[in-house]
Amino acid sequence: MLRKKRSHEAAIPTSSMADIAFLLLIFFLVATVIDVDTGIGLTLPEYIPPDEIEEVKVDPDRMAAILINETGDVLLDGKPISLFQIKNTLKPRIQSKIGLPKNKKLIVSVKTDRKTRYNAYIQALDQIKLAYFEVRNEYSRSKFGAKFDDLNEDAQNEVKDAVPIIISLAEPEYVKK
Amino acid sequence: MKFEKKRASTKQDIPTASLPDIIFMLLLFFMVTTTMREVEILVDYKLPSAQALEKIENKRLISYIWVGKGDRMQINDSIVKLNQVQDIMYKKRQALPNVIVSLRIDVGTDMGLVTDIQQELRKAYCLRINYSANIKI
Repeated sequence: MLRKKRSHEAAIPTSSMADIAFLLLIFFLVATVIDVDTGIGLTLPEYIPPDEIEEVKVDPDRMAAILINETGDVLLDGKPISLFQIKNTLKPRIQSKIGLPKNKKLIVSVKTDRKTRYNAYIQALDQIKLAYFEVRNEYSRSKFGAKFDDLNEDAQNEVKDAVPIIISLAEPEYVKK
Repeated sequence: MKFEKKRASTKQDIPTASLPDIIFMLLLFFMVTTTMREVEILVDYKLPSAQALEKIENKRLISYIWVGKGDRMQINDSIVKLNQVQDIMYKKRQALPNVIVSLRIDVGTDMGLVTDIQQELRKAYCLRINYSANIKI
């Protein structure tokens, strides 16, 4: 009697649904790679054929020339300094040019030998970027009272105009090939 | 005397009927965020670490170039030579005009090779680059 009554209701057993979903979940958990791409961004200059290159004279006061040789030694404007001093040396120079018009801002030029290790170059670039970021943060603190990242877009653009990041990669020399 | 435990008359078990739904929500989240590794990396490289890092917001724009030990260079699925870089990257740029080239270069690589790659990228008009690096702790 009882059995007959039950067979009328056809039901899918759903108790194992959670288990199946768990299995799928575990698969996707394992397969997921959440690697955020982080790195140092840069925009390369356009390619100009060698015979069309024009030399533009830049006021030496605007330039901060960084040279890295194959042993990882650094020259900043002809003076040897350690790699980790670059940030603190550049900061006051960037700050001194905040109030100047656009064509008077600091240009940081990075030049390496062909045998320089990539790591030394990245460390130098990192120091330069850090110097710029800190100057930007200090400037936006004093002007808007907040960190650069927390500002709205207009304010960010204003800071960017005051402290533009100008990094020039010197044309490579082919002498030491 | 009969001893009886005092129990509240309400049911004590946790309702499990909505468990599959919760799990499915989690599952969907992971399914959406998962990006399967579509390329096999054929070079051996160790990224440098740095502090002043930026995140690349738009993953769809990224195109990778790997440079590993022994100056092996990989784009897409295969090892390429320096003189092929310009053609490949130019085609990529035509397909995706605002492509960002992420350079995943081994720490011990000579700068000579890096500048050569950069020159090729400039010729191919892929001007936005990103030196991939890990966060220095």
